[in-house]
Amino acid sequence: MTAFLIRRIGQAIVVVLGVMVLTFVMIHLVPGSAARATLGTRATAERIAIFNAANGLDRPLAAQFWTYVQQAAQGNFGISYSQQQPVSTLIVQRLPRDGLLLGLSTLLALAVAVPMGIFQAVRRGRVADHVFTVVSFVLYSMPDFFFALVLVAIFSVQLHLLPSQAPQAETVGGILADPRALVLPVVTLTLGSLAGLSRYMRSSALTTLAQDYVRVARAKGLPERLVLSRHVLRNSLLPVITVLGLSAPSIVAGAVIAESVFNYPGMGLLFFQAATSKDYPIMLGSTLVVGVATVLGSLFADIAYSLLDPRIRHVDA
Amino acid sequence: MSTLDPVGDAALVPAAGPVRGPDAPAAPRGSGRLTVEAFLRNRRALVGLGLVVVVALFCFLGPLLYRTDQITVRLDLADLSPSGENPLGTDASGYDVLGRLMTGGQSSLELGFAVALTTTVFGTLYGAAAGFVGGVVDAVMMRVIDTFLAVPSIVLLLMMVSMFTPTLWGIVLLLSALSWLSSARLVRGEVLTLRTREFVQAARMMGGTGRRIVLRHLVPNAAGVIIVSGTFTIADSILTLSALSFLGLGLPPPHADWGSMLSAGLNSLYDGYWWQVYPAAAILIVTVVAFNLIGDAVHDALDSRSPNP
Amino acid sequence: MPPLLEVRNLSTHIRTRRGVVRAVDDVSFTLEAGETLGLVGESGCGKSMTGLSVMGLLPPGGSVLAGSSVKLDGRELVGLPERELRRIRGNDIAMVFQDPMTSLDPTKTIGHQVAESVLLHRGCTRAEAADRATEVLGLVGLPHPRERLDDYPHQLSGGLRQRVLIAMALANEPRVLIADEPTTALDVTIQAQILALLADLRSRLDMAVVLITHDMGVTAGHTDRVNVMYAGRIAESTGTDRLFRGMRHPYTQSLLASVPRLDQDPERQLPTIPGMPPDLTAPPAGCRFADRCAYATDRCREEEPELTGPEGPQGHRFACWHPTDGPLPADATVVTPRPAAAPPAVAERPLLEARDLVREFPVRGGGLVGLGGRTGRGGRRVVHALSGVSLSLAPGETFGLVGESGCGKTTLGRVLVGLDRPDSGSVTLDGAELGRLRGRDLRRHRRDLQMMFQDPFSSLDPRMRVGSILREPLQIQGIGTATEQKARVAELLAEVGLPARSAELFPHEFSGGQRQRIGLARALALTPKLIVADEPVSALDVSVRAQVLNLMNRLQAAHDLSYVVISHDLAVVRYLADRIGVMYLGRMVEVGTADDIHLRAAHPYTAGLLEAVPVPDPELERAKRGSGITGELPSPVDPPSGCRFRTRCPLAQERCAEETPALRAFGPHHTAACHFPLQTPLTEPAPAAAAAADGTGA
Repeated sequence: MTAFLIRRIGQAIVVVLGVMVLTFVMIHLVPGSAARATLGTRATAERIAIFNAANGLDRPLAAQFWTYVQQAAQGNFGISYSQQQPVSTLIVQRLPRDGLLLGLSTLLALAVAVPMGIFQAVRRGRVADHVFTVVSFVLYSMPDFFFALVLVAIFSVQLHLLPSQAPQAETVGGILADPRALVLPVVTLTLGSLAGLSRYMRSSALTTLAQDYVRVARAKGLPERLVLSRHVLRNSLLPVITVLGLSAPSIVAGAVIAESVFNYPGMGLLFFQAATSKDYPIMLGSTLVVGVATVLGSLFADIAYSLLDPRIRHVDA
Repeated sequence: MSTLDPVGDAALVPAAGPVRGPDAPAAPRGSGRLTVEAFLRNRRALVGLGLVVVVALFCFLGPLLYRTDQITVRLDLADLSPSGENPLGTDASGYDVLGRLMTGGQSSLELGFAVALTTTVFGTLYGAAAGFVGGVVDAVMMRVIDTFLAVPSIVLLLMMVSMFTPTLWGIVLLLSALSWLSSARLVRGEVLTLRTREFVQAARMMGGTGRRIVLRHLVPNAAGVIIVSGTFTIADSILTLSALSFLGLGLPPPHADWGSMLSAGLNSLYDGYWWQVYPAAAILIVTVVAFNLIGDAVHDALDSRSPNP
Repeated sequence: MPPLLEVRNLSTHIRTRRGVVRAVDDVSFTLEAGETLGLVGESGCGKSMTGLSVMGLLPPGGSVLAGSSVKLDGRELVGLPERELRRIRGNDIAMVFQDPMTSLDPTKTIGHQVAESVLLHRGCTRAEAADRATEVLGLVGLPHPRERLDDYPHQLSGGLRQRVLIAMALANEPRVLIADEPTTALDVTIQAQILALLADLRSRLDMAVVLITHDMGVTAGHTDRVNVMYAGRIAESTGTDRLFRGMRHPYTQSLLASVPRLDQDPERQLPTIPGMPPDLTAPPAGCRFADRCAYATDRCREEEPELTGPEGPQGHRFACWHPTDGPLPADATVVTPRPAAAPPAVAERPLLEARDLVREFPVRGGGLVGLGGRTGRGGRRVVHALSGVSLSLAPGETFGLVGESGCGKTTLGRVLVGLDRPDSGSVTLDGAELGRLRGRDLRRHRRDLQMMFQDPFSSLDPRMRVGSILREPLQIQGIGTATEQKARVAELLAEVGLPARSAELFPHEFSGGQRQRIGLARALALTPKLIVADEPVSALDVSVRAQVLNLMNRLQAAHDLSYVVISHDLAVVRYLADRIGVMYLGRMVEVGTADDIHLRAAHPYTAGLLEAVPVPDPELERAKRGSGITGELPSPVDPPSGCRFRTRCPLAQERCAEETPALRAFGPHHTAACHFPLQTPLTEPAPAAAAAADGTGA
């Protein structure tokens, strides 16, 4: 397992460096120059020249990249020109809020998708399976924003049950203090990842149900309920963990949409506002942060996998 | 049943009627025939295929039968509710919604297909090469994919779109650049398993070159996986494009697609102009569901084909 | 008193996409305590489905028809509510399945899995269940059961896993044990151990055992009575001795005759059963075996024979209109004299020569320091697949390679044909060293070396027509014009006995045996000098196996081919090979003519391996004492010092651990590497002589 982890962490480091190269290239792709990326599109030629000299942008690319890596490692992503604050401050403010929103909705999605997938696998080909299949296909095929706005139209505009705005509080505690306002964003994100997860869970459970050891468990006289909870659940969950790790980017993508619909003050909204106002420091900084978060996400998924799967936990030739 | 062993009772159901005796009549059958049969037996697949055909006819043949002006802005005709003249009413610019669904659908479908095509070709070659060569080359190629996958595509898209003014082909290129990753991964995985199969070793025994093995044996056998990822890519591209439109960063104004109609319509949802929202939403969702159904069915058909998992 | 288990008119149908498969049709039998009943037949005959029907564990779509009856101690099980059935399953009737590698939950410890069924049925405490688990694990021969309770399945070998599965089945001392091919996935040495264990447990616990198997040797040695099944029905049912000596059903007769035996006359063709079993979605009207039966008449095709005859322990029932009497006479088949291959010492130049081959594979994922396991010298752990193997082969000769799985025989085969390169040592074909060839030269030499693969499903590209598959080698090697290539394809198909229109079909349209023929035709396309056949028939049913073996013999005579046949089945190797090499953990421990090996084995391992092979003769099989070789194959990562077999050898002494035995000559072509051989060596160890006799010095 140690060897597995070392290799896996090595890969993660390589990928993080890759993401840095990617954002570094982006800086140089920004129309005009990196100076414009930092100073804004309306900066004067004079200021650009000063900026270039000050930041060593006349140096070779490799040296510049090294500087960039060093700065990024210190959390220095430059200053947002639209908000006149260090990008790192803005991001640090918002990260916990995203942790709350995404964590809550992912947990909820898992809590529904796992039993739903197993139920469908057990009832394969019956009416219930077909109904859930249709539901998950439609959910999966619906644009997130449409879905979010339909929820608003029904629950806020028509029924006046729930607010259409997410909580605007600064802290996580403040956000939690207004649970009603949190319902719609969380539900939107939950349903967004639910469809894919439950489909995956279904096919994973189908594979497990066909395994010999499930037949052996039944031959012991184990009631079906215990066969499912003791032998099918854990074994079908294993591949889903990996998928969950890999789907971190799509969860983030969902957040960009949901946060802009519900005006939830997270990274997604920050990024979206930056994109519309061409605030490149924010965009580049948060891209890097999101990239690192994704890499960490799939790394944690693999670690969780190796803890749950004794075949990896005890590597023993 | 197909997963049992060769010595047990698996042969209870012989694969597909083996040739019986030297003079048994059997018509020659097509290559992926078994897969095609499994596909056609699958009701989901037929529904999906049917829907795609209907939608395509609607978008491409519809305008020939139902002519509307989709160029001139007619504010005097804006926001009309459905009537004999405009079966689905008009939008805020006075365009006929039904006609706009047709032309918008053309962009959506063309874009989806274009992205799927470039993605599939590039992803297949990349994945097949990585899987076949293996070793360090494979590791490097896979880390490149991991890197791009680590950044959500919508983030990269938004950034690119905010830097450059999008054109139709620019968007196709961008979407392709971001969606070949998963198809490359899929093809690589498939090639890795195929590579160890005995028929590939047999081709080596004959002195077959790497190029021949990839093109004659690996890619044809990975065809199913490639088709699956292609269909899913079409569905995903249509969805991603609509999300960009919603964020106001979609196709430039003269073009219309279902996503932009939908997001434009959503602004007036609270005014009660439902015809500007639901028809576009419906056709968009139906189309995406249809492609997903097809992909899912091909996936299942492939699963049932392989006698040895 | 009612019989312990009574099955009456059992019929099981399985709904599939292709239609309703009548998997089990009107099967009846009884079973008493302490008795073993064999359910014997080929793939798809319904033997496993019969077992699953008794357990009530049918696959989705399966159902037991009304009118069927399964009684345990007089209590009807068919139609019993699931709750009641569950109380019986794993408690009164238990089942052991075929594949120990997939039958244990990989995420639960073995202690947990064994204790689970105790807890379930006995309502005891966890500690008591764990004690019981320890007890049964000890009973089935798991060493140090208490310490191993917390092991996960992947930490155990296949043989130990099967012991755990048996422990699981026996935990509640069931009265009936259904063992479905319990040893098919295991090596012969382990198979012998497991079968001996089952027999011992049966008498100790006074169980009734249903032994489901396709292996006539296993049947002969380990059953009291046998039901021979064919196409879902019982064809013949009687005591084991009577079945083997006085069978009445033509199917039983030809099935037994087509099994190659260790004492088989290699010059005689194996009798075969033509065709294949009927499609059970639409079984034929008359006798189901009629299409393949030599004695069939019109009546057989129209009227279905009933299973008739006296019942009971001494009874003999069979379903046939024209019963035969006793086994097929030994001289009933064609003799095809094989050209005696020139022995390597006589041949002026061997066709193939391998010298001191060494091949090691790094252990994947476990190569870094700091693991739980021991790290080898330098920290890098390797699997020692081949540790200095030499062999030579004369033109037209067949060399058989035998050994347990993991002994390196497959690696040797791959190195011989150049699919894998040795770390050191050389392979020389016709004077050219393969390792030195590159590019064009190598490609040309490929023609002389071809391979026949084990798995008929994976060896042919499913997306290519058979015609293209057979043409591919010709295209790659640039032999002939398109027309000539097509003619060659037709010729090849005719040679392996397939109709010409097969060229238009795809592999999935053929049965396993037919696919092996296509694989052989492809290997022949380039008119090679040597074909390496890795387990060429082990995926095939007995009757089909004989067809392919006969074909291989015929083609060898016609084309002056040399074969290297790799198999775990000693009878198959004995039937095909002129000389046989026995491998153990990466070393060749004994080489000799087929008779040397079978009649005058010098190495204790060879002798043990032969002892373990089940013989389809009840008398011989029961006369065997002990179970051949004890213990399991040690890990090829850390092979024992000195003689690698010493850890399992009854004759081992200190010297065996200290000194690696050299090959010594025991006859003109017979060498073995053992300090305490079972035969007297010709001379005292003289490496040169030994090497000469092995052919490596020729």
